[in-house]
Amino acid sequence: MNGFASSDTGGTSAALVDDLFRREAGKISAWLARVLGPGRLDLIEDAVQDAFGAALEHWPFSGVPQRPSAWLAVAARNKALDRLRRDTRLDAFDENAASLLGFAEPEDTGRLDDTLALMFVACHPALDRDEQTMLTLKTVCGFGVKEIARAYLSSPEAVTQRLVRAKRKLKQLDLRFEIPEGPDLAARLPALTAAIYLLFNGGYTTGEGEALMSRELCIEALRLATLLTTHPATATGECHALAALISFHHARADARASPGGELILLAEQDRGRWDRDLLANGFAHLQQAMASDALTALHLEAGIASVHAAAPSFEATDWGTIAHYYGMLEELKPTPVVELNAAIACAHVEGPAAGLARLDALAGARRLAHYALYHAARGDFLEKLGRLDKAREDFAAALECPLNTAERAYLQRKLAACG
Amino acid sequence: MPNYMLFLHVNPDQPRPSSPDEALAITKTYVAWTDRARAEGRLRAGHKLTSDAGKIMLSKGGRTSITDGPFAESKDVIGGFWMISAKDYDEACRVAESSPHLGYGGRIEVREIDEMYST
Repeated sequence: MNGFASSDTGGTSAALVDDLFRREAGKISAWLARVLGPGRLDLIEDAVQDAFGAALEHWPFSGVPQRPSAWLAVAARNKALDRLRRDTRLDAFDENAASLLGFAEPEDTGRLDDTLALMFVACHPALDRDEQTMLTLKTVCGFGVKEIARAYLSSPEAVTQRLVRAKRKLKQLDLRFEIPEGPDLAARLPALTAAIYLLFNGGYTTGEGEALMSRELCIEALRLATLLTTHPATATGECHALAALISFHHARADARASPGGELILLAEQDRGRWDRDLLANGFAHLQQAMASDALTALHLEAGIASVHAAAPSFEATDWGTIAHYYGMLEELKPTPVVELNAAIACAHVEGPAAGLARLDALAGARRLAHYALYHAARGDFLEKLGRLDKAREDFAAALECPLNTAERAYLQRKLAACG
Repeated sequence: MPNYMLFLHVNPDQPRPSSPDEALAITKTYVAWTDRARAEGRLRAGHKLTSDAGKIMLSKGGRTSITDGPFAESKDVIGGFWMISAKDYDEACRVAESSPHLGYGGRIEVREIDEMYST
C-alpha cells in the first residue's frame, strides 16, 4: 500500500502526456494534411485539438492506452470525419479517395515525407518570414498559440490573427502536399532553413524577462534541421551546416546558465559541462556540410561555432581562424550583427584598441544603438584599455536595450566593476 | 484476491477545468495514478462512460418501459469506473482514496464483486 501515497502525482505516464501531445500533434497533422489536403489545415488543427480533448476525458478513467499515438491518431481521424460530414459547406469529401491515401490506417503517422511536405506548406513563399516560422511552430512542432506568443514576445491574440491570415492565404493557393522537385526544391528550401534558423535564434536568446534559453525551441530547431538532413531530397550542405550550427550551440546549454539562471559567458563556461554527444553530432554534420560544393553563410557560422567547440579553453581559442571566417561571412551576410562579431574576433587577435576602432567605424554606418551586444562589447574593450569612465557609459547604454534577466544581471555586475 | 468496482461519480455542478492547461494537469494526476495501479497489477480495468443520460429499464405489468436515465435532475453521474483488486474493503477504500478523484470533488462508490461462485 505504501506506493499509494496520494500526494505523489509523478509517474512516467504524466510526463509522457505532456510530451506526447506536442510530439504527436505534428505527426498527426502531417498525416491528415496528406490525406485531406493542405488547404484544410484549420480543420486538421481543430480535429487534433478535439482528439486531445477526448484523451483528457477518457484517460483519467482508462489510463494511458497501450499505444497512445495510435489512440490519438484514430481519435483525430474520427473527429476530422465528424467535422467533414457535419459541415456541408465544405467541398465534397471523397472518402474512397481518402482511404486510398491511407486515411483508414492511422498507424501511418510519422512519415518523414509527410513532415517535410508539411514544412514546405508552412514555409510557402506566399507567406512572410514570421508567418512561416509561426505556422511551422504551430503545425509542425505542435506548439500552442500561448507558447508561440511567448517566443515572439507578442500576444496570443496577435499570433492567432497572423496564423489565421497565413492559413487563409494557403487555402487560396490550392497547394499540393509534396516535397518540391528540381529547381522548385532549390528555390524553396532556403525558406525552411531560414525558419529553423529563426526558431533556433528565438530559443537561443529570448528577450526581456524570459529564461536564458527556451530550450524547447532549440530542441525543435535541431530536430527539424536533423530531419532535413535525413531525407535525400533535402540533405544539402546548407542543411547539414544548419544542423551542425545548432548542435554546437545547444551543446553549451547546460554550461550557459548558472543554477540561479544567470548568464555565463563563453569565456567563463565550464567546458566540462558541454554536451559531448551534441558536439560530436555537430562535427559530423559539419564534415558533411564541407563535402558539398556550396559555401553558405551557415557553413561559416557553423565553422565559427566549431572552433569554439574544439578549443580546450577560452584562452586557447583559435581566434585567427574565427576572425578569418568572420571576414568571409561579412562578404556573404554583411549584417550589423555579423560585423559586430567580426570586430569582437578582431579584438581578440589584434587587441582591444583594434576592436574599438572597428566598432567606432561601425557606429557611424549602422544603427546599432539599441543593440545590447554592441555596447557590451564596446564597454568591454574600453574597460580593458583602462578607460573606465567611458566603459561605464557603454555598460549603462547596454542596460537600456532589450535584455533578458541573465544578461541584465551580467551587465549590472560589469557596470559595478567599473565603478 | 477479491475485485472491487469503484464507481466514479462526478458532480455535474462541479466547475469544469477553466483552461486546457488545467484539464491537462488534472488528467496527468489521474494517469499517474492509473499507471501506478496498473504497474502494481491492481487496476483490472477502467473506462469512461458516455456523457449521455443512459437508459433505465423497468417491467410494468408485463411491458418493458425504457426511459432516459435519471441523470438530468440528479446531482451526480457515474463518469466512469475502475475495477481493482484488494484484499478487503479497507484496502479497496485506501486505494480509492489514493486516487485523485475525491480531491477533485468526485464521489466514489466501492462495491465488492461477488466471486463466490465464479469459475
